Formats: sequence, C-alpha cells, structure tokens
Amino acid sequence: MSLADFQRNYFQLFDLPVDFAVDVTQLGARYRKLQRELHPDRYAGASAYEQRLAVQYSALVNEAYTTLRKPLTRALYLLELTGMSRESIAAQQIDGGFLIAQMELREKLESMEGLIDPETVLDHLVVEISDDITDLQGQFAQAYSVGELSPAASACVKMQYLDKLLQEAEQIESRLLDRQE
Amino acid sequence: MALLHIAEPGQSPLPHQVKRAVGIDLGTTNSLVATVRGGRAAVLPDESGAVMLPSVVNYTQPGAPLVGAHALALAAQHPADTLMSVKRFMGRGSEDARSDAQRSHYHLAEGSEGLVRFVTACGELSPVEVSADILRVLHLRAVATLGGDIDGAVITVPAYFDEAQRQATKDAATLAGLRVLRLLNEPTAAAVAYGLDSAEQGVIAVYDLGGGTFDVSILRLHKGVFEVLATGGDTALGGDDFDAILANWVLQQSGTPALEPGQYRQLQAAARAAKERLSAALEVDLDLHGVLPSGGVIRVTRQIFESLILPLVKRTLRSCRRCLRDAGLEAGIDNIVMVGGSTRVPFVREAVADFFQRQPLIDIDPDQVVALGAAIQADILVGNRPEGDLLLLDVIPLSLGIETMGGLVEKIVPRNTTIPVSRAQEFTTFKDGQTALALHIVQGEREMVSDCRSLAHFELRGIPPMVAGAARIRVTFQVDADGLLNVAAREEITGSQANVTVKPSFGLSDEQIAGMLQASFSHAATDKLARQLAEQRLAAWQLLESLKSALAVDGDALLNLEESEVIGAQMTALQALLDGTDANAIRVQTERLGRQSEAFATRRMDRSIYQALAGVALDTLDEKVSP
Repeated sequence: MSLADFQRNYFQLFDLPVDFAVDVTQLGARYRKLQRELHPDRYAGASAYEQRLAVQYSALVNEAYTTLRKPLTRALYLLELTGMSRESIAAQQIDGGFLIAQMELREKLESMEGLIDPETVLDHLVVEISDDITDLQGQFAQAYSVGELSPAASACVKMQYLDKLLQEAEQIESRLLDRQE
Repeated sequence: MALLHIAEPGQSPLPHQVKRAVGIDLGTTNSLVATVRGGRAAVLPDESGAVMLPSVVNYTQPGAPLVGAHALALAAQHPADTLMSVKRFMGRGSEDARSDAQRSHYHLAEGSEGLVRFVTACGELSPVEVSADILRVLHLRAVATLGGDIDGAVITVPAYFDEAQRQATKDAATLAGLRVLRLLNEPTAAAVAYGLDSAEQGVIAVYDLGGGTFDVSILRLHKGVFEVLATGGDTALGGDDFDAILANWVLQQSGTPALEPGQYRQLQAAARAAKERLSAALEVDLDLHGVLPSGGVIRVTRQIFESLILPLVKRTLRSCRRCLRDAGLEAGIDNIVMVGGSTRVPFVREAVADFFQRQPLIDIDPDQVVALGAAIQADILVGNRPEGDLLLLDVIPLSLGIETMGGLVEKIVPRNTTIPVSRAQEFTTFKDGQTALALHIVQGEREMVSDCRSLAHFELRGIPPMVAGAARIRVTFQVDADGLLNVAAREEITGSQANVTVKPSFGLSDEQIAGMLQASFSHAATDKLARQLAEQRLAAWQLLESLKSALAVDGDALLNLEESEVIGAQMTALQALLDGTDANAIRVQTERLGRQSEAFATRRMDRSIYQALAGVALDTLDEKVSP
C-alpha cells in the first residue's frame, strides 16, 4: 500500500475498523507512533526527496488524525467514504422542529449580553447544546450502523448547526470575560 | 552488498563523529547561543564570560558594526545609529512599523517597496541585515568555543510570529552563514528544556514574556512526544513596554515636557534598572541627574509599578484564557513554565500562579531556557541522538486563507492546526470566458482581507474559456515543519498549474540573499571554489551515508537484485568522484544517485507506516487501552 491508498481511507492508516465508535486514546497512541516514524524532523539529514516525502506523509497523518479525532468530522468522513458528496450531505432535509429549536437557541444566545448574570445562563445553554450534540451522535451511530445513510446525514447536518452555535457561545463568553476587566 | 569505504579523514566528517549543532535564541533584548556537550545543554559565554549578547548593533563606523554591550554603551550618544529591539521590525512593512520607529527614534528610509530600512551612518539597513550581524557574532562565538564549523542551527522565533517574520528570521540566519535546521517556537523550546529533565507526562503551559513579545502555548507531553495543543500571544507586548510605561510615568512626575532621543534612551535605561531592582526591593529611588535636564530623585514603589503594569499583565492573561480554550482541555494544567526576563517581576509570577492555580516552574534561568531547548532540538536534528528520544509536533499560530469575492477571507488552514499540513480547497471562475485567476493569500483571524496580513499575490493562467463556475481550481496550501507556506493552484480540467513559495511581500528574494551573501564573503576566488567543493563533498557524503544505512536495513527486503545493483553502481561512482576535486561532477552524480534512489525512499516510507503499526497491539496493552 502507498500514500494514495492511505489517502483513500484514514482508518486504514491507523489500522482501525471503519466505524463511528473510535477509541480516541488508541487513536492518539497510534498517531504519535506514526509521527515518530514519519515526521520531517526524522529526516533532517536525509535527501531533499525524502524530506519532501516526509512532509507529505506527516501532513497526511495530521489530517487523518484531525478528521478522526472529533465526532463531527469523523461522521462526515464516514459518509464521504460511502460515496456521499459534501453537497448531498448539506442538501439533507431537516425537520421543522429542529430548525425552530435551533432558532430559539440562537435568539437566546444573541440576547445574552443584556442579562444581569449572563455567565450562568450561558453555562446552561452550553450544557443544553452539548447534550443535544451527544443525542445526535447516538442517532448518527444508530443510523450509520444499519446503513440508513439519509437519516445519518441529516443527524450530521444537525450536529454542524449545533457545533456552530457552540462556537458562537464561546465567542460570546470570551467577550463577556474581556468586558469584566 | 559490500559496505563502501569512506576515506579522506579530515575532509569529510567521520561517520560517528559528533556534529556541532547550536540553538540560538534571537531575542528582542538579548540573544544567546547554546549547545549540547556531554549530554547536557549549556549556554556558551563570550571571552569575558557573558552569556547574554544584548541585541543591539551600532552603525557609526562603516564596515565595522559593533554588536552587544559595546553597542549598547553608545545608544545614548548615537540613538539613530544604534539599533535596538530590531526583532520588532522583522518582516514588517514600513507603514506598519512607522510608529514603532518613531518611538525608538530611528529614521526609516522612504519608498523601497514597503520594506523597512533604517537610515544609519553606515547607510540603509534592513532588520534582516541587522539581525544577521547579531547572529554572526553568536556564530563566531560558537565556532571559537566548539573548535570548528557549525553543522546546523535551530533558531527560535515567538510562536506568534507570522509567515513574514519567520521568513525574515530564516533569511537573517542564512545571511549570517548558518545552516538552519529548523525554526523552533520559543515556548516549545522552553518546554523541551524542562521536559527532558523531568521526562514526565502531562499538560504544560508556557508563559513567555520577553523584552518585546508575549507568547503562551499549551502542550501535551506524552512519552517523549510534545504535542502543541494551542498557541497565542501578542507580538507587540513585552518587558520593553514595562520600561516605557514607567519612563512615561517618571516624565509626568518630573513635569519635563519633551525629551531629545538620546535623553529618552537614558530615561528608559534608568526605568529598566529601576524595574529590575524592584523585583527584590519594595521601593527604589530613581536618580535623574544626568538623565533629565531637571535632575532630581523620584521614588518608585513596587505598588506604583504594579499598578502601572497591571493593564499589560491583564492583556497577557486574556491571551492565556483564549489559548486554554483553544486547547480544548478536559483537565487542568499540570505545569507552568516561565520564560523571558520579564517573568522575574514578582507581580507577573503572582498573576500567572493565580490565573492557572498553580505555582510556575522557575528552576531554569528564564533568560536561558529557550536557547537550551533549541540546543537540544538542534542536537537531535543534526543526528547526534540516533535513537531520537523526542519529537515536537507544533502548530501554525495564525489562520491561512485566500481572498474571495467582496474582500472576504476564506480560511483554508485554521490556526492551531498541527504542522506539517496540506489542505486543498476548490474555487471557480466568476466570469464567462475567464482565463486567469488572481490569488491573494492572507494570514489572520479576521473576516475581511483588509484586516488580515497580506502574504502574497500570484496568478493562475491558461484556464480554458468556460462559462462562469465551470472551471475547477484546486488551491493547495502546504505548511512545512518550520511553519513556512507553499501554495499551489491547479485547474483540474486542463491541469494548468501555478506554484508559489510564499516569500512575503516584505521578505527578501533568494537572489537578494545570494547577493548579500556574495557581498559579505570577502574570500578570494580560490577560497570560493574550495568552499564549493567542500559543500558538494558534504552533500554527497550525507547522501551516501543515509543510503548505506538504509540499504543495510531495508535493501534486501525492498529492492530486487537489478535495482540494488543500479544503486550500488551509482554509489560506487559517486564514491570514486569524492577522491577527486571536480565539484561539478560530484554535484551531478549526487543528483543522479538521488533520483535513482527515490523509489527506494518511497518504499521505505510506506514500510515505516507498517512498522509503526506492527508494534501497535503490544503498545496498546502497554497503555491499558481497551480494544
């Protein structure tokens, strides 16, 4: 097998089964092991060609690790491995109930900065969003394991929405903290 | 296959000879050089015993720049010709740098493509040239102490340095005649200096407050692998600002209106001395005779000083908080490493301990820790530790992106991505029949191009005329282990390509560097030839050595008889040429052998993946990971 093969399947690179459930400790250990072999620092005295090769391999290992480490990117990657394109994943139908709940969460986030105790409210909101994400991960795992790709993709899209909300919540939190000083 | 024999002792390095490698901390205020000897990292002193070289260069005598303490002594007398804190100007455009220059009383040259150039009695000089003069002194010190040419150097940079600043640093080192093994982030270097002593596991925060820059990094150490999780900081905040804020306060107290440049330098030096004494004393008297026209004595208490620097310290803690969040940690920090002279200020230590809820480590001199870590990394990279007991996985400090419609930035590689990294994104044309695409590469976190740092412009031509949106242009960003960027663009349908190694708009071109190098070598023509021959021999020797050890391990397994005979014959040919003095023939044969052995190198790399994973089952048991 060569670089191109590993590019085709990140799970193979780490000798892991193609599955949503990944032991991240094991993934981390294998990642470090591969980098110990392939990192350009190991080839500082080697030929220019080997150095270029090391940059490519090491970059691939980094990319694969980043993709598989986080549940959301891992889920998206699994769908891509089935042949689904990014476009068709993004085009999934999302039920109205989710969209309304999502909008309500966003409104709450945006009105946060006028509150008396925004930190506590924000903390609760972050817990709520994180719990929803955990639920969706379960839904994805379930649908994916039985080969129902459409519901799996829609769980993925929902996770993307919530992930974005979480990032916004973090930005608001950092603004609140800066203001305190 | 028979082992080849290398002759010529003294001309080429002996196979198992320890190579001379140094780590250099090119600091805003002071610079240091360190090396590993007898398994221990140590900083190298000059002939008078001083290890810190003030990063100050005086240019009053043409052709004879004065570097270090002697230059510092002339700062008040020749403010415009004595360049200090030049690191702040590295890789910056003159517009960008003008206010800083005014504060330092330097004269910047007008025009010249946005490059910063200082006007001195010795002519116009770029920050790169000034830094090269500092590095040259350290280079000479290392050669004198270690008794021979230096095989390679690791130069440290603030983690927060952008592409242009990194490139400028590398250019300066090249100009000083150093072979740069790697640019290493200062906080990472500091963690290495501590990490090897303690060989522990856990999460480390590095708080690095130097003369001119502040850096914070969060790293995870795991069985000799340092993984940088996040990094942040402020490229324009440091101990110099503590001095300036105290100097301004003194100025206010004394009621003195404006000062001459030289007087301001003196006042700043007095403020710095007061600051340093306040680390031990609760109050000091600042004697202004000979500093301010009014003279007099002003009492500064530690409390006043702390209230003055409070906003600056808070700014550093804000960066720490952001960095902690970026690191996405589940548990807390196990250790805090303090770096930089400014962490001697008790208030800074207290604030950091308070913030992280842990007492910081201060066992290693905060002024030396970066150079010591760099020396360890240089020792590894140069090949003195074949077992390779340490690996650094660093990140890029700032997001890299590309300008899209409406002056917006599309991020391609987000900050804190582990390097090396290669990322691609597809773009398309927006007009019918468009045959060229201009690419503008930027660095920064903001959404608008105008708020980010412009790195490079380049153009992809030869796109076949198509309707808007039909072309598929794949732009690949590759960042190497030094954090330097290479961008390639390719039209997927026709395969037309454009490639650029990002030489930032304010950096130097390779030709410029070559020209400067040429100018700086006063060797006679024969010397130059001898040098070329020595360099070619070394390159050939390195290739032969690496191939020999590779063949010994994998030759039988990965090459068939024919392939191994071809490589063997080329090696023998190169070996034979090494006895002669034809530098060009050696170069040509080295390149030929390099190409011949490419397939072998690729196979070895693929195999090392299997070898790494072959031991995985065992390793997994070791770490008690459930299957």
